[in-house]
Amino acid sequence: MKSRFLKLLALLFAFTLIAAACGDDDAADDGDDMAEGDDGDDIADGDDGDDIADGDDGDDMAEGDDMADGDISITVTGPERDESEAGAIQEVLGAWGDEHGIEVTYLGSADWEAEINVQVEGGNAPDISIFPQPGKLADFARAGHVVPLNDEAAAATAANWSEAWTVFGNVDGVQYGVPVKADLKSLVWYQPARFAANGYEVPETFEDFTDLVDQIAADGETPLCVGIESGQATGWPFTDWVEDMVLRQHGPDVYDQWVAHDIPFNDERIVSTMQAVLDLWTEDNVFASSGSIAATSFQDNGQPLIDGDCFMHRQASFFSAFMPEGTSFGDGEGEVNVFYFPDINGDRPVLGAGTLAAAFNDNDATMALLAYLSTPDYAEARQVSQATRKGGGATLSGFLSAAQGQDPSVYQPLEQSFLNVLETAAIVRFDGSDLMPADVGAGTFWTEGTSFVNGDITAQEAADRIEASWP
Amino acid sequence: MSGNRPGVDTAIYGFLRRIPTGVLWMIVLLWSLPTLGLAVNSFRTRDNQRNAGWWNVWRDDGLTMENYDVVFSASATAGLKESLLNSFAIAIPATVIPIAFAAFAAYAFAWIDFKGRKWLFIATVSLLAIPLQVALIPLLRLYNFGSHWTIPFLEKTVTLIPDFDLVNTTTAVWLTHTGFALPFAIFLLHNYISELPSDLFEAARIDGADHFTIFWRLVLPLSIPVLAAFAIFQFLWTWNDFLIANTMAGTNPDAIATTIRIANLAGDFGRNEHLLPAAAFVQAFFPLVVFFALQRFFVRGILAGSVKG
Repeated sequence: MKSRFLKLLALLFAFTLIAAACGDDDAADDGDDMAEGDDGDDIADGDDGDDIADGDDGDDMAEGDDMADGDISITVTGPERDESEAGAIQEVLGAWGDEHGIEVTYLGSADWEAEINVQVEGGNAPDISIFPQPGKLADFARAGHVVPLNDEAAAATAANWSEAWTVFGNVDGVQYGVPVKADLKSLVWYQPARFAANGYEVPETFEDFTDLVDQIAADGETPLCVGIESGQATGWPFTDWVEDMVLRQHGPDVYDQWVAHDIPFNDERIVSTMQAVLDLWTEDNVFASSGSIAATSFQDNGQPLIDGDCFMHRQASFFSAFMPEGTSFGDGEGEVNVFYFPDINGDRPVLGAGTLAAAFNDNDATMALLAYLSTPDYAEARQVSQATRKGGGATLSGFLSAAQGQDPSVYQPLEQSFLNVLETAAIVRFDGSDLMPADVGAGTFWTEGTSFVNGDITAQEAADRIEASWP
Repeated sequence: MSGNRPGVDTAIYGFLRRIPTGVLWMIVLLWSLPTLGLAVNSFRTRDNQRNAGWWNVWRDDGLTMENYDVVFSASATAGLKESLLNSFAIAIPATVIPIAFAAFAAYAFAWIDFKGRKWLFIATVSLLAIPLQVALIPLLRLYNFGSHWTIPFLEKTVTLIPDFDLVNTTTAVWLTHTGFALPFAIFLLHNYISELPSDLFEAARIDGADHFTIFWRLVLPLSIPVLAAFAIFQFLWTWNDFLIANTMAGTNPDAIATTIRIANLAGDFGRNEHLLPAAAFVQAFFPLVVFFALQRFFVRGILAGSVKG
């Protein structure tokens, strides 16, 4: 009886192994297919490439001959998905489509990053996708998944955006991406009236900033609000701090080398910067509403700033969306404003982020839409639509574009000051964790960084582990 | 001593007897707490949700229906009605079809003595070990391109499965669910059907019933509890599925399921996370209806065979 049972178990196990092996086979086959696709030539000539091109414009669009009216449709996907943002994008792109007789559909995705991989490999890519990470765009460009801009779209992009921004969509000298949105990260949120009441001044240099932190702490108040909890992405506010500080302490060249892995992640300069960030986050200096920095959601720092539990909060321009309802922005009593996170060497570097649109086919209609996405017209229309959807009036839209030639009056005063910082910055660097390979930039940099902030490991250990995980 | 007064022993016995029920009630309360918290939070404003836990609700300056308003009216990804209809278009076929197939298969495995029956059953059950996720991309390619095979040396390409253009349709979603539900469905139904008393089948056969009659007249009515139990699980699983719906039909706004719509409502950086409790209740409404509609079968399914009636 027992031996029969064992035999059955062994059989089951054997079958499981076989089944698993078959599963692996499938995966391996698929890998091969992709490898073939990667050659570039195959994309154009091979089965896969043909199918992608035909599938999307041939079948879906029925008989529509390229730019002929009516049947052409363009699908755009991207990570922006909430009601006001996706709604604004759809409205603006839809209006453009109506003008040109093209049906444009925008679809945001909560899981964009994983989804786009599967769609591309499964042959179901959209016409255009909006990439939050230049690193990902570069990977796709080198693999031949996205296509370079045609002359018209490339010219429009070059005309409408400064080189500091277009460079993020440039892969090996070829322009693939069109910048469509800009976020400004080197900002500190504060309440001007509370600063005035306590006799504090907005710091001009980084030394002023640390002096101010010390002074506020000495006065028995708490200078900083810090929280790095963000669900699966816990730790990213820490990486932003580190990036901002690397840019300040060691300059843009070291920053570029660090991001491109020309210097190792555990280079002593990076390690010392990580330590410097944590040295600033002492118990006296930081208010963390949930008890510890790692347990406090970055989103929860708006209320303490208003309540006066802390004086300053370094966070990106989009943080306006997390301020308590009814917060107004300006220098008056109870109002919130921002100052530029001061620099050390006087070179005013700015840490930014944003999104880039890139196409998976080079149809005329797709390229025409990309060209439109680069224009200030698009930025203004989206800003107006999104601000209205957020409630209108003095509400901040959360959208920002560094496209040149926008009418500043579509932005609120605070947003205009963001634009001012973006325009006057000589050095703009993209959020490094978005440029690094995903295993690091959306992986170990977050997790090991969080362990470091928790005090479980030292800066050196964290940097060593991140370096070891670099693919 | 008056004979009618309950003795001490009875009192203690009665008390002890109630302890397990009391403990069970405690567990019920404990397990319901998160749901209660979610329910309370769904009526609180964003700032209140952010600043204090739901148990501080009595300190709030009033409750709001605003979250529900937004959940009902949001239309950027898809309207509520469209997304619910899509979810039904996925969950209903993905529940009914596996049950239909699996019931036939389970009967055959249990009561038809064909050659290789046991090996085939072992192979089917072994398929339980294959996670759906590894098949996502191959399946997507299948839906998108069909399946073609080039015969070596002859340079002849044979179309094994034509391109049905299923990608971005709800059909692709429920087809995937169906395929991966079958092994478990067959396994579960087989275990139940194979334990039906064999006397029944012999009697039926003596009366001249063929396999189909036995299946239709005997097995199906007797299996209703287990069918209902499986239906509940399968409906819940497909209704709440995000991954497959998103992969197979995620770029077609006309085929968006409710789960995707809700995930999109939250916004990037969790900007609108305060909408999620309300959205969760909208999402949970229909599975609750299904559960309560089928629960009497469900209970019977668990107790089936424990008492002779």
